[in-house]
Amino acid sequence: MKMDLMSGYKGVVGLVFGNENSSNEDRYVERLLDRINNGKLPDDRRNAITELQAVVSENRAFQLAFGAMGLPIMLSVLKEERNDVEMVRGALETLVSALTPINHAKGSSNEVQPDLMNTDLLSREAESIPLLLSLLEEDDFYVRYYTLQILTALLSNSRQRLQETILTIPRGITRLMDMLMDREVIRNEALLLLTHLTREAEEIQKIVVFEGAYEKIFSIIREEGNSDGGVVVQDCLELLNNLIRSNASNQVLLRETIGLDSLILILKLRGSSYSFTQQKTINLLSALETIKLLLKGGSEADPGKDANKQTNKTVLVQKKVLDHLLILGVESQWVPVAVRCAALRCIGDLIAGDSKNLDLLASKVLGEEPQVEPALNSLLRIILRTSSMQEFIAADYVFKNFCEKNADGQAMLASTLIPQPYSMNHSFLDEDVNMSFGSMLLHGLTLGENNGDLETCSRAASVLSHILKDNLQCKERVLRIQIEASMQTLGASEPLMHRMVKYLALASSMKSKDGKSNATGNSYVQAIILKLLVTWLADCPNAVHCFLDARPHLTYLLELVSNLSETVCIRGFSAVVLGECVIYNKSTDSGKDAFSIVDLISQKVGLSSYFLKFDEMHKSFVFANVESSLTHRSFSRSSAASMADIQEIDENDLSEKKNMDHPVLSSILDSYFVNFVKRLEEDIRQQIVEVYSRPKTNVAVVPAEIEQKSGESDGEYIKRLKAFVENQHSEIQDLVLRNATLAEDLAKTGSSFQSEQRGSGGIDRVQIETLRRDFQEASKRLEMLKAEKAKIESEANMYQNLAGKMEADLRSLSDAYNSLEQSNLQLENEVKALRGEGVSTFPDVEAIKAEAREEALKESEGELNDLLVCLGQEQSKVDRLSARLLELGEDVDQLLEGIGDDAGAAEDGDDEEDAE
Amino acid sequence: MSYAYLFKYIIIGDTGVGKSCLLLQFTDKRFQPVHDLTIGVEFGARMITIDNKPIKLQIWDTAGQESFRSITRSYYRGAAGALLVYDITRRETFNHLASWLEDARQHANANMTIMLIGNKCDLAHRRAVSTEEGEQFAKEHGLIFMEASAKTAQNVEEAFIKTAATIYKKIQDGLFDVSNESYGIKVGYGGIPGPSGGRDGPSAAGRGCCN
Repeated sequence: MKMDLMSGYKGVVGLVFGNENSSNEDRYVERLLDRINNGKLPDDRRNAITELQAVVSENRAFQLAFGAMGLPIMLSVLKEERNDVEMVRGALETLVSALTPINHAKGSSNEVQPDLMNTDLLSREAESIPLLLSLLEEDDFYVRYYTLQILTALLSNSRQRLQETILTIPRGITRLMDMLMDREVIRNEALLLLTHLTREAEEIQKIVVFEGAYEKIFSIIREEGNSDGGVVVQDCLELLNNLIRSNASNQVLLRETIGLDSLILILKLRGSSYSFTQQKTINLLSALETIKLLLKGGSEADPGKDANKQTNKTVLVQKKVLDHLLILGVESQWVPVAVRCAALRCIGDLIAGDSKNLDLLASKVLGEEPQVEPALNSLLRIILRTSSMQEFIAADYVFKNFCEKNADGQAMLASTLIPQPYSMNHSFLDEDVNMSFGSMLLHGLTLGENNGDLETCSRAASVLSHILKDNLQCKERVLRIQIEASMQTLGASEPLMHRMVKYLALASSMKSKDGKSNATGNSYVQAIILKLLVTWLADCPNAVHCFLDARPHLTYLLELVSNLSETVCIRGFSAVVLGECVIYNKSTDSGKDAFSIVDLISQKVGLSSYFLKFDEMHKSFVFANVESSLTHRSFSRSSAASMADIQEIDENDLSEKKNMDHPVLSSILDSYFVNFVKRLEEDIRQQIVEVYSRPKTNVAVVPAEIEQKSGESDGEYIKRLKAFVENQHSEIQDLVLRNATLAEDLAKTGSSFQSEQRGSGGIDRVQIETLRRDFQEASKRLEMLKAEKAKIESEANMYQNLAGKMEADLRSLSDAYNSLEQSNLQLENEVKALRGEGVSTFPDVEAIKAEAREEALKESEGELNDLLVCLGQEQSKVDRLSARLLELGEDVDQLLEGIGDDAGAAEDGDDEEDAE
Repeated sequence: MSYAYLFKYIIIGDTGVGKSCLLLQFTDKRFQPVHDLTIGVEFGARMITIDNKPIKLQIWDTAGQESFRSITRSYYRGAAGALLVYDITRRETFNHLASWLEDARQHANANMTIMLIGNKCDLAHRRAVSTEEGEQFAKEHGLIFMEASAKTAQNVEEAFIKTAATIYKKIQDGLFDVSNESYGIKVGYGGIPGPSGGRDGPSAAGRGCCN
């Protein structure tokens, strides 16, 4: 059986590590195990086990080899050799060694860690846990000590499996609890073990408490000297915190059985020691964590959580916890900042939603006569002056909780907001305890004027936004505050709100000046001021009015919304402020009413792009992480850790969240504000749809108004209708414009391409439309002209051809004429020559002429005869026809009149043509 | 907050017999007709007076369902008293008493005082277990017996107080080493108990500091 198991393990080990270098160790361990298992002499077996422990504790290879083969053998020793204490000790010590990490040469992370592997193997051995628990009842100190160590190792690596197993073992937890009553070394081990055991295991937590854990924990803490004690106090508190974390039932038990006095006692600072050891700091932080857990009341899912929380608060306040917290968080500036912050957060939790505790805090006065001042003033001073971002956030948290649903408290704070003359602002001392809350706050708000200290300004703005939250009266009151211009500028005074917007702009300009390197540095300044504006404008038309009073505000905001170099949050917040200008706008001035704002948004930003800002914001890291991950972090137990570690805890905490936005943002964006913004967004969407779905009231069609009024003249009536139509026309123009912008948005939404740099698309769109129409008209006209031109061209062609032909005709005619003239000239010359020389040279010319004449005459006579015959025939025809016409009653003479003329005229025309 | 003694009780018995309602009636003096199933173990506390001495009762109300048995068993040893509850209208809850008792004897300390309670006695018309049977069972096993009703509060107060009185008497009789908290009994502290007392500290030491 054992051999089978061993070979099985061996197979695994062989597979994982290869055989070549493990074989030696394997064989060595195997031999030792064989001696332990089968040895006859007790001494030899003891020696073997000692030897085995020695090698396993020194070398990972032996650890591995042992884990592969030795566990069953060790367990059988524990089971069967109970009376041989030395053997049992040896076996336990060997197991401890096998489960303890050996840290030589940090191997690569993917290397198998023998200690982890061995814990896993051991925790899988079904009988191992009951066996180990039973060993806790042994008398031998080392047996119990090693057993506890083994159990702790098992718990830290296979916690859940072990928790489940221990629950099934009757009196298993009871036995562990008994170890708390053991001697110190065992007790301290048991504390660690129980801390592991109780983590996230409600049933175990309850049983441990049932077994009297509280009494034991507090008795140890007392013995060790409360917060001045060592690491054991820290262990006790960590166990305590495990027991009450998300466990309302255990919180009730703590309250009901031993009470909270002992806890409060830990918070008490004894003596006037100004030096805090690292351990004391951690002890105090742990105790403050306990307070915080009590103030949480239990797990979110527990229905009894709230009632329990309330009772816890009441009891804690009865025990004067607030005084102790104020000492730690506000009054003792030598206390490490981490403790101060934790104390402040506890104060915040203590007063949250509890009117009695709110009043209690408001009435607290700190300091000693005559240097006393209200605790709230001291808190404000911390906010304005601390150099620790964490401390600012923690103190701000107190104010946030103080103001939430506390209208009286808000009014009380706001009532002190009275601007002081400028000179006074300058002369006061920061330390002056006589300064009112309001003066201090206003001074903080306007400090940026002088030295560009926008950080202080934004912190004050954060406090102011708490004071204004959900409190219309305070909003109105603060709206009336006028801030005097600084000496340098000598301008007129301006409303506080305008000053804040100015700082907002200043913050972004400073950022752009600084360049990328400091990009996140001021983004929270902007975010806080924007948050103030968001809070202020909410539900407050007068605030909207005041904001819109200065035209550049709107322009600046529109620019901020679409400024890609701003963070998603800044753009989102700006979008929210814009939205508030729409939904809480009661103004009727054109240019400042809701219509105009919506138009501006849609023209300058585009509606879909505008709403995209909200989506982006919700998806952004800070928003998505609000109220998430409340996982607890326990302090490093190493006493060697330095003070720096505690500071580091804070810094790490910050850097975890440092993604793209400033860490402060995650605290500014509390869930309340995030939900508020979400609700606002819905309203904004609705209101914008509303604006688009309703015409302006002045053009609404009221049937009665279209009718002619009695006593109204026609002219007046027409004039009125005309004006009405004109109004409607301009409204239609507006609507067309909006429609175009919207359609454009719609079209853009479909495509994944999102342009941030879109100009005033709507107007362009409409202009383009008219231009297109013009263009179409022009091109139509052009077409017509073209056709006309073609026609004319063809006509011209025709005429050209005609002209060409005529020219050709003319040319041929003139040619003919020329040739005729030439021949005529030639003939004349001939004639002249013939005449001149005729007598002498050609005496017979006259004869020839006469001869020719005679010949021609003869010819003519013949023709003439023919013509006469024809004429006679024609004459007879005419006579006959004339007679006939006469018979028909026609006037023949008239009919024939002009026949000769006609012929003459025709002959004339021809002549003319020839002449040309 | 100061008390002469603190007694730890557990309430056990089948699911649905009214354990949580008994506790609620005792601690809050109210009745909740519909009660959620108890998950694991719930806790309640109340101060009573016996022999003019303030006594604090810490009561752990356990889930009756079988699946929680291993968890609820962890509470047996540290309890000074147990209320073993059955439902007089459901015979099977009475029949299971023996197995509950066996469980208790096995895991609890031998001196644990057990009170047998036949609950829902206001529903007499639906009674399935007679009072005599209950009495008989209690007698056979050395238990105190009472019929009670968490709804009408009849005998509820009495059941818890009578159990406490029995434990108190056992202390007076010296049956307990009260310094050993594993018996579910603690001597009260007016202020602070002495240096975490060894196991064999004098048993009466604490009594002086409570009134």
